[in-house]
Amino acid sequence: MKKRVTLIFPRRSVHMPVTYRLAKDFNVAANIIRAQVTPNQVGTLVVELSGDIDQLDAALEWMRSQDISVSLASREIVIDEMTCVHCGLCTGVCPTEALSLDPQTFQLNFTRSRCVVCEQCIPTCPVQAISTNL
Amino acid sequence: MVTRTIAEINDKIQRQQVVVWTVEELKSKVAELGVAAVAQQVDVITTGTFEPMESSGAILNLGHTDPPIKIRQCWLDGVPAYSGFGAVDLYLGATQVTDYASSIGEGNDSEEFRERGGGHVIEDLVAGKAVHLRALGQVTDCYSRASFETTITRDTINQFYLFNPRNLYQNFIVGVNGGDRPLYTYLGPLQPHLGNAVYSNPGALSPLMNDPDLHLIGIGTRILLGGGIGYVAWEGTQHFPLQKRLPNRTPIGPAATLALIGDAKQMQSRWVRGCYFKSYGPSLMLGVGVPLPVLNEEVVVRCAVQDKDLVAPIVDFSIPRRVRPTFGLVSYAQLKSGRVTIDGKSVRTAPLASLYLSRQVALDLKQRIEAGEFTLTEPVAAIPNDRAFLAQDRRGPQVLLED
Repeated sequence: MKKRVTLIFPRRSVHMPVTYRLAKDFNVAANIIRAQVTPNQVGTLVVELSGDIDQLDAALEWMRSQDISVSLASREIVIDEMTCVHCGLCTGVCPTEALSLDPQTFQLNFTRSRCVVCEQCIPTCPVQAISTNL
Repeated sequence: MVTRTIAEINDKIQRQQVVVWTVEELKSKVAELGVAAVAQQVDVITTGTFEPMESSGAILNLGHTDPPIKIRQCWLDGVPAYSGFGAVDLYLGATQVTDYASSIGEGNDSEEFRERGGGHVIEDLVAGKAVHLRALGQVTDCYSRASFETTITRDTINQFYLFNPRNLYQNFIVGVNGGDRPLYTYLGPLQPHLGNAVYSNPGALSPLMNDPDLHLIGIGTRILLGGGIGYVAWEGTQHFPLQKRLPNRTPIGPAATLALIGDAKQMQSRWVRGCYFKSYGPSLMLGVGVPLPVLNEEVVVRCAVQDKDLVAPIVDFSIPRRVRPTFGLVSYAQLKSGRVTIDGKSVRTAPLASLYLSRQVALDLKQRIEAGEFTLTEPVAAIPNDRAFLAQDRRGPQVLLED
């Protein structure tokens, strides 16, 4: 199975070769979606892990024991409300209707819980008001 | 039967006794009270729109350098501006893309930079930001300088006004994609297999939908353009008043257009926004407010039109021809509901005009009129109502056949 997770490394764990350990010890393949890693700073990694369900759980457990914070929610879409003009163009390409226009005010609504972070809205926005938080 | 003159309305504006409603307030009042009672009460109806208007641009006059220059090529933040007229006059078009070749070495090859165009430079100037200018001149006995480089703001140049050849489209189309690959259009991305539908006119809010035969709006009509004072300058390019119309006189597709002019030094960047359509190019979103004087009951009848009474054609962009196949007409009420049915398939719709900001423009104009800051003008000439819509087809040299 596959799981998309966000890993946040404390400064002292940044040097650890995590993806190597995942592969060698748990037979879990880690496909890095996004990464922000700098020496001696808190690092963030969004990975899609694939492997046997029990081994995946064991791998997540092991990472937590190494003080790596494991979040099943990955990156999120962020809307800059100062830039947004509420044109609504993004609502037409959003497959889950996380982006919608209020039927009364016609202001843009973003329902974070529905968003699957497909990111189709990002290049659609004509005023570049949409980005991800990584 | 109520009649008013513009002079009487202006008198009331100056005494701050004028009754002004936004077009939406008017529509709901008519539903409640009827046309005659409403016409008694209201003096001015305000309409507004906020949408991409790509046939827009700015005139700039730099002021002369010493020694002077006759500019033949010019770039503003790397975006070429037209200079083929007076020595330091420039025209910066909204859809002009950044000239990469001229910008090499300035370290500006990021994605963000590539997505910038004339519309963004106009927005920056309106916002009071500094813009880099590079110019090449033709050396003559009058103008001895060959090149010039500086930084300008709207306060360091003489004239800075928008002069837009085609704005305020009276109705437009709805774009869909019946093909099997994504299309990147001036209506934004259109997903294959009728994945989405995009409409760009605000329907019943739209200024020209509420004065369908342009009885009230003419050359010289004072408007709000980009948050500043502007005027209707001329008929717009591709002005097509002869488009088929419904019994309520509104057109069933793109029809009248207007050329607008306005002092950009007074504008606010909230209403003048550079924008970029992926794999299509840059453009400019503009807020435009138009006041409609209630001269008689007919004005109220026309302004009472609702989204359910207005239609636009659904056009398939997958056929790259001038005349594209359509899926018939759809009402603005359906479009604004968020879904339309095309060929038996439910398709999500999205606007491209900001309905939210369109309302804000109408409200802003209402407040300015109520405060006595904005008076109405009599048009000095009517917009033509009989323009043909010509296409450009290749014409070979005329062959004269001899008898």
